[in-house]
Amino acid sequence: MAAPGAQAGDPPGPAPRLQFVNVAPQAGLTRVLLAGRPEKDHLLDSAGAGAAFLDYDRDGRLDVFLPNGWRLEGARVAERGRHALYRGLPDGTFRDVTDEAGVSGDGQWGAGAFAADYDGDGWPDVLVTGFGPNRLYRNLGNGRFAENAREAGVDSPGWNTGAAFFDADGDGDLDLYVAAYIDCTLQDVLAARRALGWRGLEQVAMGPFGLEGAPDRFFRNQGGGRFVDASAEAGLQDKALAFGFAVRAADVDDDGDLDLYVANDSDPNYLYRNEGGGRFKEVGVWSGCALDENGAAQAGMGLAAGDATGDGRLDLLVTNFSEDFSTLYRGLGGGLFEDVSRGSGVGPATRRWLSWGAAMADLDNDGDLDLVVANGHIYPQVDRHPEVVGRYAQRNLLLENRGPGASPQFVDATAEAGPGFEELLSSRGLAVGDYDDDGDLDLLVTNLDAPPSLLRNESRGGAWLTVVCEGPRGEPGPVGTTVTVRAGGRTQQRDVAAGDSFLSTHDPRPHFGLGAAERVDEVDVRWPDGSHSLRKDVAARQFLRVRKGS
Amino acid sequence: MTRCARLFACSALALALFLATAPRAAAAGPAPGTPPEMVAAYGSLADGILALKRAEASLVRSILAAAHGHAQAELGRAQKAIAAKDAAATRTALEALAGDVAQLATEGDAAVGAVRKRLIEGGHHHHADGEAQGLYDEGYVVVTRAAKQRLLDSSRALAQMAASPKAEALAAEWQKVEAVYAELAARQ
Repeated sequence: MAAPGAQAGDPPGPAPRLQFVNVAPQAGLTRVLLAGRPEKDHLLDSAGAGAAFLDYDRDGRLDVFLPNGWRLEGARVAERGRHALYRGLPDGTFRDVTDEAGVSGDGQWGAGAFAADYDGDGWPDVLVTGFGPNRLYRNLGNGRFAENAREAGVDSPGWNTGAAFFDADGDGDLDLYVAAYIDCTLQDVLAARRALGWRGLEQVAMGPFGLEGAPDRFFRNQGGGRFVDASAEAGLQDKALAFGFAVRAADVDDDGDLDLYVANDSDPNYLYRNEGGGRFKEVGVWSGCALDENGAAQAGMGLAAGDATGDGRLDLLVTNFSEDFSTLYRGLGGGLFEDVSRGSGVGPATRRWLSWGAAMADLDNDGDLDLVVANGHIYPQVDRHPEVVGRYAQRNLLLENRGPGASPQFVDATAEAGPGFEELLSSRGLAVGDYDDDGDLDLLVTNLDAPPSLLRNESRGGAWLTVVCEGPRGEPGPVGTTVTVRAGGRTQQRDVAAGDSFLSTHDPRPHFGLGAAERVDEVDVRWPDGSHSLRKDVAARQFLRVRKGS
Repeated sequence: MTRCARLFACSALALALFLATAPRAAAAGPAPGTPPEMVAAYGSLADGILALKRAEASLVRSILAAAHGHAQAELGRAQKAIAAKDAAATRTALEALAGDVAQLATEGDAAVGAVRKRLIEGGHHHHADGEAQGLYDEGYVVVTRAAKQRLLDSSRALAQMAASPKAEALAAEWQKVEAVYAELAARQ
């Protein structure tokens, strides 16, 4: 039987080394992301939204959640967008189940989508952040969701952006951190005029400087589906009132608990180190991942975490504004970092793009993590000035990892990555997942005022292994689970996160490219409670289910 | 006083000055010179504005002095811990020292950063010319961009020492910090 993605008329012969094709229209992902006014008079008009891969019905196939914004005409609300939940079908297409699931948003101006089982009932729930109160969709397990953000205590009205579910205090349930961007009202948004003189060329949307930052919030899970704001008590107070965008929970100092990284726009990024007992300490500046190598705060938009440099330590990629570079912070161990953007090739390759969503993913299954970045300017007015670097609609970027010994390690392979990377759009969110279960990672990208792109991976790649972590009752593996794979003389590690990239959630199933290795020496699943599940001598090219306790 | 109340007080002062002088300014006749009361009021205001700017510099220097003083204490703790071969205490002290040096670099912690951002939002730049020349980061008062970079380098180096602490390396790095601090102090 042909793979779900294969077309009858496909020519025979070996696939190109890297090849991505946008199949969103054929797959049925057609919901247009509404994004304010065409001229983007306010930053909210141009911030866009993320995307989530999840398996909400636990049928083993990935589904897609897409938050939506509003369309404005001058100071008038012309259309309130509807979020979309698409159910993955066996033939590789999707069916719009938004209404039957009850997740249209009821007029919310949505931003981020974060999928995790916050109430521990075995079914993935969805938090949708946005402008106004958040929505928390509790999965009822019968194909329907119940919205209960207010009852849960996480509605937190404001302009909420990135978020991450994670077990901050090691008590076995998921807590929640929600970043916030600018303190403004709908009246401010509707009345906005392009008042910022940009390089003496154009009047563009104000901000973020000149506007007041809104505080991020940390919500501790009290059990029983209730959260309480514990920002100050936990040491997670947004003291700088930074313009927060992207959030990622990860064990950056490798001490067994989850730390928290927040990419801030025009402010130093935060690294909150988990001190144990539910207490955190902000250590971003001296740990080397708050500023760039010149000591400057950048326009942090999105981020990615993983061992991109291949030295066994977690690295961080933060995307930034154009004519600046996206920053690769190489992990030095112990939660310390150094900016290696210039020497690694990431800096030079990203300088012309205004970048948002980001991922570290092995797109060619050769055993190392490549970098993908979603791009698009925030000012449509740049198109009137060819002398300015970058257009409003931009290509997304694929940086191929050539291995730790190569110099530079990352090279721009966008031009060889097929038609999916030739599209010119103003992209924002990026979620990575193997939606067609063919063993390679596909890319879901959101685009302003346009439908999403689903870039099916048709690359010629190596062997692979996807680990499906399951709880004791077969429920999705908990956030914070890490999987280590040893194969072909190489050790790789991935983790399960709920909140990543730009306002997005990736496929929760850790995926490993194995290159030429057709067998895996060892798969080690470390569960959040510290217990392990081990598998030895595993065949490659399979979805390996590992159940906790087995 | 809340931000709103401060704004209200300033607006009220401006209105009072206007009302006190407006009738005379509006009188008919040949164009008069600026009324002396207005000049005097403006002169007083200028005294206040300039004094505030000096006060801002003094306050930031106090913030730096506090961080420096704390850093000296942490340096002592780190040195003792290294001598005692107490790895945990060494790490704690070195991280605290790195944090203090980072605060020297950034003229205070994130909360100070929020204040600085408010001032920038309001159009206040202590060193507008210096910023234009690339000597200062936006809103910085005492710490030059070059000094900031050197202090950040030192803070990271101190943090990295926790993995294999050595008294000589610590002393050498602290000397670098002291040199920058002395240069900044001499710029008064």
